[in-house]
Amino acid sequence: MSGQGIFAGLKVLDFSWAAAGPIITKQLSDNGATVVKVESTHHPDSVRLGGPFKDGKPGINRSGFFADFNSSKLGISVDLNHPRAAEVILPMARWADIAADSFRPGVLAKWGFGYDDLCKVNPGIIMLSSSLYGASGPWSRHAGFGAQGQAIAGFHGMTGWPDRPPAVPKGAYTDSVSPRYGAAALVAALIHRDRTGEGQYIEIAQVDAGVTFLTPEMLGLQLTGIETERRGNADPRALLHGVFPCRGEDRWIAIEAWTDAQWRACLELLERTGTGEAILHAPPDQRRREREPVEQAIGRLTAVWDPFELMAALRAAGVPAGVPLRGSDMLADPTLRQRGHFWNLSHPEMGDLDYSGPAYRFEATPSRLTKAAPCLGEDTDDVLSDILGMRQDEIEGLRTAGVLT
Amino acid sequence: MKAIVGSPGKGGAGPRLALSGVRVLELSGGAGAVGGRILADLGAEVIKVEPPGGEEARWAEPAADLPNGERTSLFWLAYNVGKRSLCLDLDSAEGRRLWPAVARTADIVITDYQRFSIAENDRLAAVARAANPALIWTEIWPFGRGQPYENYPAGDLVVQALGGHLCLNGDLDRPPVGIGLPVAILNGGSEAASAALMAYYHRLHGGPGQRVDISMQECITWTLLNTVMIWQILGINEIRGGAVRKERTNNFYTRLVWECADGFITIAPVGGGFGIVRERSYAALVAWMAEDGITDELLTSRDWNGKDASKISQEDYDRVAEIIAGFIRTKTKKALMERAVRDQILLAPINGVRDVLENDHLRERGLYAPVRDDERGTALDYPVTWANLSATPLRHPAPAPQPGEFDAVIRAELDRAAVAAEGGVT
Repeated sequence: MSGQGIFAGLKVLDFSWAAAGPIITKQLSDNGATVVKVESTHHPDSVRLGGPFKDGKPGINRSGFFADFNSSKLGISVDLNHPRAAEVILPMARWADIAADSFRPGVLAKWGFGYDDLCKVNPGIIMLSSSLYGASGPWSRHAGFGAQGQAIAGFHGMTGWPDRPPAVPKGAYTDSVSPRYGAAALVAALIHRDRTGEGQYIEIAQVDAGVTFLTPEMLGLQLTGIETERRGNADPRALLHGVFPCRGEDRWIAIEAWTDAQWRACLELLERTGTGEAILHAPPDQRRREREPVEQAIGRLTAVWDPFELMAALRAAGVPAGVPLRGSDMLADPTLRQRGHFWNLSHPEMGDLDYSGPAYRFEATPSRLTKAAPCLGEDTDDVLSDILGMRQDEIEGLRTAGVLT
Repeated sequence: MKAIVGSPGKGGAGPRLALSGVRVLELSGGAGAVGGRILADLGAEVIKVEPPGGEEARWAEPAADLPNGERTSLFWLAYNVGKRSLCLDLDSAEGRRLWPAVARTADIVITDYQRFSIAENDRLAAVARAANPALIWTEIWPFGRGQPYENYPAGDLVVQALGGHLCLNGDLDRPPVGIGLPVAILNGGSEAASAALMAYYHRLHGGPGQRVDISMQECITWTLLNTVMIWQILGINEIRGGAVRKERTNNFYTRLVWECADGFITIAPVGGGFGIVRERSYAALVAWMAEDGITDELLTSRDWNGKDASKISQEDYDRVAEIIAGFIRTKTKKALMERAVRDQILLAPINGVRDVLENDHLRERGLYAPVRDDERGTALDYPVTWANLSATPLRHPAPAPQPGEFDAVIRAELDRAAVAAEGGVT
């Protein structure tokens, strides 16, 4: 069960579920750690219940949502609420370097598997708890998901047009931000443990980590009294900064021009297919003042272009440009393909799918997605026998008692 | 576990820091500073290597006038606390002499696309890595390294587009809209911190020094969560929305943004999803509405979140939504959230920057603390405890350095090292 890579030999007991926690432990499993994910039929990872489901048919092992966050992990099925669950969980905690969870604060402790409990059997363990609001403060017991987190942390309010209500950003934004911070804290704790032998408890709240992305705006508010608000795609620093229509249904291109050279290159290119209006040839100051007419005039020029051809032409001219890619475009994107972002993995119920790999590349010790996400409890017997050294009759005993469900 | 090769130095007295004794060089125009800040908070010594007079990012707009008369970039102030500054002209004779010497003292380097071209970056990397083969050389680029794409021009909005996030936000009658924060830079920068630490951890376990490169585009694709899987599995491209959006599993357009007495909140009261949690949330909302005398039987005429949720027509939805909207309009964000916490209603205020800064929950958690800067004459609240580590708490950040503030200290250290090295040879 030991892999290759940065974390070869590292052992992780993973109670985490939904997105933020499993995305952190995916950084470990995709880099060689042995990550054992603990679920049960009573308490499966909640994103198993959210689609998209293979062939549109719901099923505990059919969710692509779940699959993408749980590559390279082993899955065991243990009812944590069962009085005999400790017979599996405590030996696993003794084995592990790291435990991770994303239950609401206090839930795991109620079952007897909180940090203090795990420390009794493994004083050097590092435990990372990821939750939406954190373990302290008036909202610590409040359930929530990423949709609430991104509203509380300010991402939702910063998205959209100033003359309309805020637009919902896709996703659950704080679920994507906090793993970057959580992984850094976790690896730092590993380094500390290597030096001192000391484990520790790490608490990370998605909203806390998310809020760090608004630090400049919070400093600005304190220094100037001015509150930054959503402003569509505008950036007053740029000569051109917007999203413009292209040929095709609901097709667009994002263009940024930060220098005179980029502005001129962009205009020259666009005017090959039609003469631009006078405002586009006005002095820079006037163009900045009359941003909307400028953007409308640019939009009339871009509208005849195929978005991908225009992106290529603008890139060649040194102008930052990008097509807002759709889900279908992402899989076909030459950059992501050349970069090797997608890993095709085979799953017993879902067949072959492209999984997302990490955003970083280690030159010498590459990440490797070794297997598709586990079916619920797929590796229970192997983990109990190989890691805990249990005999088959002991495993059957636990199963009969209802521990391994 | 393998034996550790070359354990870094121990920190002195004072609180223990996870990364004490780890030295990071940061050559940044923006994104790199975000990663450097994380490592500094974890206890690393982060040295900004700036051109003489300071890096350009110090003065980038938006900026603010400070009490000491300087005008400084807000982004720069945000992400450069807790660091030291060494000013070095890397193109001068002195710079060429000192660069490998500085690199020899470091464990991690972070650079970004805003500071360097590929060619400049590679020239510096070659010298530094020859001088110190154990270095973890970390780079942040719009699309990563190693293919023609490494030279494609891009800024934050373009990366939000190519990462697949932009097309999923905003009203259908207007162009797609980005998040009004430089999220590609912020995600790329913070990813660099964790990736650099992973490689450094491996180095401590006998692994090699190596280059780590970050793709901001890939960082943005990770913010989609399930968009690509939805396409792969169902052949459906998600459709963007503003305040109203069509959720994948429903046949009708759902209102996700609701006007309240002093702003907006987000809630999806009916339509199912999230199972029992959403059913309970709706029941609690209806009970609260009843207290205010809103008891329209439409609210309870059917199971709005259970198995029949998918059969709701747009007309039904709009009627029940209108009743709920009328109620929400009478309540403030604060009142709504307090009740939500009490009764487990799945809603949240759509906070502005001031709301985030003044948030009682975050305040009570101790997320914010003032960073006192006597030189600049400021004491500004920063989010500082983005993680709570029981044995090695994050370091409270020192004020952001003035250009070259640590020149003398670092140069003296390099001189001592040079003398010691010569002594060692003879």
